Amino acid sequence: MISEEDALQLIVDSIASLQRAGLIEANLMITCDTVLLGSGSRLDSIAFVTFVTDLEERLNRMTGQELYLVLTDIHEFNAETAYLSATMLARFIAHLTQSRTASS
Amino acid sequence: MTEPPVIAITGTSRGIGLGMARHFVGLEYRVAGCSRGPTIFTAAHYLHSEVDVTDEKQVRGWIRTIKNHYDHIDIFVCNSAIVPAASLLTATSFDIADSTFRTNVMGAYLTCREAAKVMMLQRSGRIITLSSMAVGLHELGTSVYAASKSAVVEMTKILAKELAPLGITCNVIAPSVFKTSAVENLGEAVVKHALESLTIKREVTIEEICNVVNFFAAPESSSITGQVLYMGLVN
Repeated sequence: MISEEDALQLIVDSIASLQRAGLIEANLMITCDTVLLGSGSRLDSIAFVTFVTDLEERLNRMTGQELYLVLTDIHEFNAETAYLSATMLARFIAHLTQSRTASS
Repeated sequence: MTEPPVIAITGTSRGIGLGMARHFVGLEYRVAGCSRGPTIFTAAHYLHSEVDVTDEKQVRGWIRTIKNHYDHIDIFVCNSAIVPAASLLTATSFDIADSTFRTNVMGAYLTCREAAKVMMLQRSGRIITLSSMAVGLHELGTSVYAASKSAVVEMTKILAKELAPLGITCNVIAPSVFKTSAVENLGEAVVKHALESLTIKREVTIEEICNVVNFFAAPESSSITGQVLYMGLVN
């Protein structure tokens, strides 16, 4: 199980690492309110997919579980908003790992 | 010393996929293959998984297994396909059309999507899909199969545009007749007529098909993307 704070840190680490590797060009400082997807996001679609793929790998290494970040699931989890912020994604990840732990 | 390339191939239990797996193991590549069922082929550098390419979870698991095992994927060959028996469109059942499109189109979509995601992180890679001469020949009785393979061509071309900025190329091989049990499904008359319609009127060999894979995969082919290479056919 991963807490919301841990998930946020994972997001920060992922973005920072992708920036260092030159895989994300946007100069992005992640805070709770940083928009990752939707209006106001500085990540283009390729950068976002790259980020989610990297985040999935980190999540799997951290938990040892087969976890997938499916966009439609994330959207359903945050159905009332038209964008995805770092906090919203962290909350989804915490929920995902929690529900996986509960079902196993 | 540079490590040998990692090539992932779908549909390696028989036909072209099995031939490719054998060929690239022979070249000392590290090969990951998959098929719905078990395979007769074993080798030191061959990793086989039982995967239904129409199952999203299984496909994701397979690509992750390869990534965990080899750390990266250099070449991905999307080969698995269904070749339904030749039948006029008006006589083709929904189930046959549905299963053909599920395997040939949705399977290609899922496997290419997951392989592409690995390559996006690498900022390199070669995606090679298999289409068919059927797309260029417009033979009676092949509407569903040819349509599914035409979809693969279009999907690959657009994927090529999307991935070009990331150093990933995507190309299509459209082999002519390569006798497999799947192609024999088309029926002797259709295969005979197809051979007669070809510019080079003979079956292709697995070595010739693998030669095209090698061509698309070569470092010198990094500016070749979104192309369809028809074998034995002027199209």
